[in-house]
Amino acid sequence: MLELWQLYKSGTWVEDFLSLSIDLFVGASFILYIMIIWSRNRNIKQEKLRAAYTIIIEKLMFSMIFEDTALSVIKEDKNYITLSNKSFFREVAAESIINLHKNYEGIYAEKLEDFFKESGLINDSIKKLRSFNWEIKCKGITELAEMNVTGVFDKILAVSKARNKTLKITALNACVKLAGVKGIVHLTEHPFPIDEWTQINIIHAFKKHDIGDTKGVELLLESQNTTVVTLGLKLIKELKLSQKAHFVAALAAKAPNAQIQYEAENILQALNS
Amino acid sequence: MTFFNTEITAFCDIYLVLILGYAVLIMSSYLFLAYLSTKELRQYLKKNSFVDYDVLLTSEFAPKLSLIAPAYNEGFTIEENVKSLLSLNYNNYEVIVVNDGSKDNSMEILINTYDLTAAELTIHPKIETKQIRGIYVSKNAAFKKLIVVDKENGGKADALNVGLNIAQNPYVVCIDVDCILDKDALLRLAKPFLESQGKRIIATGGVVRIANQCIIKNGRLVEVNIPDSLLPRIQVLEYLRAFLLGRMAWGRLDGLLLISGAFGAFDKEIALLAGGYSTKTVGEDMELVVRMRRYMLENKLPYTVRYIPDPLCWTEAPEDFKIFKKQRSRWMRGTIETLSLHKKMFLNPKYKRLGMLSVPYWTLFEFLAPAIEAAGLIITVLFFIFGLLNFHFFLLLLLFVYFFAVFFSVIALYSEERTFHKYPKQVDFLKLLLAAFIEPFYFHPLAVYASLAGYVEKIRGTKGWGEMTRKGFTKNN
Repeated sequence: MLELWQLYKSGTWVEDFLSLSIDLFVGASFILYIMIIWSRNRNIKQEKLRAAYTIIIEKLMFSMIFEDTALSVIKEDKNYITLSNKSFFREVAAESIINLHKNYEGIYAEKLEDFFKESGLINDSIKKLRSFNWEIKCKGITELAEMNVTGVFDKILAVSKARNKTLKITALNACVKLAGVKGIVHLTEHPFPIDEWTQINIIHAFKKHDIGDTKGVELLLESQNTTVVTLGLKLIKELKLSQKAHFVAALAAKAPNAQIQYEAENILQALNS
Repeated sequence: MTFFNTEITAFCDIYLVLILGYAVLIMSSYLFLAYLSTKELRQYLKKNSFVDYDVLLTSEFAPKLSLIAPAYNEGFTIEENVKSLLSLNYNNYEVIVVNDGSKDNSMEILINTYDLTAAELTIHPKIETKQIRGIYVSKNAAFKKLIVVDKENGGKADALNVGLNIAQNPYVVCIDVDCILDKDALLRLAKPFLESQGKRIIATGGVVRIANQCIIKNGRLVEVNIPDSLLPRIQVLEYLRAFLLGRMAWGRLDGLLLISGAFGAFDKEIALLAGGYSTKTVGEDMELVVRMRRYMLENKLPYTVRYIPDPLCWTEAPEDFKIFKKQRSRWMRGTIETLSLHKKMFLNPKYKRLGMLSVPYWTLFEFLAPAIEAAGLIITVLFFIFGLLNFHFFLLLLLFVYFFAVFFSVIALYSEERTFHKYPKQVDFLKLLLAAFIEPFYFHPLAVYASLAGYVEKIRGTKGWGEMTRKGFTKNN
């Protein structure tokens, strides 16, 4: 301590310390400035490239959807051949196809799904699903679910047991889209509480994807996890499943706690009115 | 004489050690908070990119909110502002406009525009307030979400308390009626209330940004611009630093003491149990958050406060020094009043991180900083007079502080660039960069002076807000 005080008192460090700090602040500010400029330029370039790629992709997709151009012809398109090896092009292609898929149903949607598989874009998504990085995993899951790739259901189901909440919600939404109630029945064994945000995401997935077959929803009411029971009750209420009223009545009769009993009675009333 | 010299030398030594310690502590804490903020911000944005807010929009299970907007002499803008509040993207909400005894024609405008009629609402007030003259609802079904309360003037806190008493929903969103809210503001603010796991979310706060010279169309912000005047322009930078590099970190540390009065949501039950807004302070926003947190800690109830970094609320910053001084001196008075009301929490382990970290931080770096700076200035002048000033070191020290300030502002600009990117025009970015270089010479001394004025007002016992004249936004209807 005395040595430190002596050093401080000698004052020899002051000039070096201040000069070094000033250099450091100026240098770091300059580096940050360069990084801002670089980031701006990169974004501008990417946006331009994205716009150009989107035009090419949409032109190809529209010809495939509306003019019945064969997949093999599209694959031989000069632009497509040149660009399909570029990862950014593939990224934009996947985004564009997925966006188009959201707007179409029936045969048009099926054509897009076929292209997604045939073009190999599906492999990119599967690779993302295998990533250790949770946000890349989420992206892969979203893409595969949107394109109705049912083959990966089991893998996504496994991911839905993850502890990362965002990943869990994304996977559960995908499971509901791909397999309906089958995608969430495993929650009956779920050991941790499911928060309300996750619950309403699951309910939204049912409504958004218009899941008609609700066989098995009642199983959620048998869970030991009261948040899963609440989810089951909310699902029955939101989807107006009056055919499940007797399960709700049974729950109300032997509810694990007063809160669940109250919720069950309320929902029963709503279903019967 | 020798004894006198020894004393002076000892004083100088102690002073220099203390000031050095303070400077190192404040600078390193800023950098540490900036590091935490950046980390938290990145995590938030990653998570948020997978969030579908339509889930809340379409769900009957979305938290039910009551918006409380106190209004005092807002006749010029109240029609448009209420319209904008009624058209937010959210379903489960009501809007409570509390006319705090305006002297202008605000009430008349509201009655005529929204086809209001007196309503017989049964209220069981939990907080004592000034007398309510009348409660109005609209005859027009299109405005069924609107409730207007006309009351005697009692100040902003009193008006907010009336709103708390009347609110039907479990969560209240307190806003300044003249703020411009993003269309999805409520969706983002409400989401954390659904995410509580073991801990009750008692409040959520959002970012406030400067809207001077931005273009507003039909009560919505359509174009973000940087103000031409230097004073509000530097405030843009200041808000970026405060919200992107400061509060985000305090959110991560779960030590937020302040949720801006312009835009924040609260768990009504806890707000009422804590006693509602205090009418004894001009910093009622900060004071309520501290009191709610204190209530939870004293009752050993697990809780947390969340912070949303998205730019959801836009407000007008003072353009001239007179108004700026009033605002900043009021903020300082609010800080002093809150810290003094809750002095028991200072370094008190019973209040955990709040008592051991947040309150001491606010005391040292928010409340005391202007006084320490002013003292430093006076002592520097005295050193100069007595020939004790080493000009070489003085210049180096000045450059050290100056470049640190510039560096910190550039971090905020970088953070904004990599996250929300609300200032895409090259010229706007350069204007902000230039502001970073000018700020330490121009804005900072003004801010310190205004804060010192706050000390003086507090000592003199000044109460109330004072008139805050606003210029109004650039509108493009």
